Amino acid sequence: MSNPVTGRSLGLLVCLACQATVHGTQAAHLRCPRCRARLHERKPHSLALTTALVIAAAVLYIPANILPVMTTREFFEDEPDTILSGVLVLLQSGSWPIAILVFVASIVVPLLKILAMAVLLYSAWRPSPGRRRQRSQLFRMVEFIGRWSMLDVYAISLLATLVQIQSFASIIVGWGAWAFGAVVVLTLLAARTFDERLLWDTPQHD
Amino acid sequence: MPSVIVCPACDLAHRRSPAPVIGRLRCARCRAPLLRPENAAVDTAIALALCALVLLLLTNVYPLVTMRINGSSRDTTLIGAALGLHAQGFDSLAALVFLTTVIGPLLQILALLYVLIPLWRGRRAPGQGTVLRVFTHIRSWSFMEVFLLGALAALVRLAKFAHIAPGISLWSCVLLMLCLSELISITSPGQLWQWVERSRE
Repeated sequence: MSNPVTGRSLGLLVCLACQATVHGTQAAHLRCPRCRARLHERKPHSLALTTALVIAAAVLYIPANILPVMTTREFFEDEPDTILSGVLVLLQSGSWPIAILVFVASIVVPLLKILAMAVLLYSAWRPSPGRRRQRSQLFRMVEFIGRWSMLDVYAISLLATLVQIQSFASIIVGWGAWAFGAVVVLTLLAARTFDERLLWDTPQHD
Repeated sequence: MPSVIVCPACDLAHRRSPAPVIGRLRCARCRAPLLRPENAAVDTAIALALCALVLLLLTNVYPLVTMRINGSSRDTTLIGAALGLHAQGFDSLAALVFLTTVIGPLLQILALLYVLIPLWRGRRAPGQGTVLRVFTHIRSWSFMEVFLLGALAALVRLAKFAHIAPGISLWSCVLLMLCLSELISITSPGQLWQWVERSRE
């Protein structure tokens, strides 16, 4: 099969901000004539930046799950809650749809994102021709589900704001919530710095 | 403009075709969306943006929920949730919540109104290109639907030991989510630049 006709083979660049097609070569500091966004043939330092962000997210995923995300103080007795124990509390109170929602959004989605990005990075470092379309779709899934892991951060912020009753009960935010928020932001950034076109750049054999 | 359209996701070159009326045109190789409908009217976008602006104000002025326990009651607004994190010393988390629920939607709405109102009157806002470029970067910065489900999860946990009353703001927040998602989906970069180019003719 002959090589597919790509933007690169025609000397065309696509502006990632406004989707205009622009004639251009490797010229540095080239800007889009329509929206003046900086143009690059591929996102600069995409693999290095994305790898660094994914490693940082994977490291912070551990404290995010081990450290308490919040502590309930009732009559001077502290009860720390991790993300997982928060899910169990919801299960015990009988609201299993919400429990499943929080479990998926806060534990499964971040883990899935980190693993998926690792697979995508590996296939961009050592490109192979098979199953490229599936990998491309995997990346779009990562982009789509990414925002949902913010769910627990919002829940904690509301709980901590509402439950502040003097000398009766209060909820104190824990460092687990901070680590968790950092994982969410790092994975969102990793999806931004990753250039999907790197998955397609090797000569095709399929 | 070249008669070729390049897929931003896999770099495959396609012969340019007109934007679809509904649905989306996908890349032949990687199936990424390539072209979205470009048949919305500027008026619709301005109406939706004004509507979203009013809903955003309502959402931030009225309480989201009121909690009653042992005769005392507490309520919080959307901004209050971010301030609660700030009060506990978690400034970066507070900033994250504030950015994704208040500042993000506000900037999106204001950026669109700034460019679209002059376009609608056949004029051109100063710095139009820059504002549109900023808008394409912050298009994905509102997390209203995630926030609403997060609020639901928090309320379910509280309902065990306190009486919870949803406030006006919770309902306007639902409407804001619907309004914003429609606004964002009709103002794709392709659509925005088509309006700009049409006004130049």
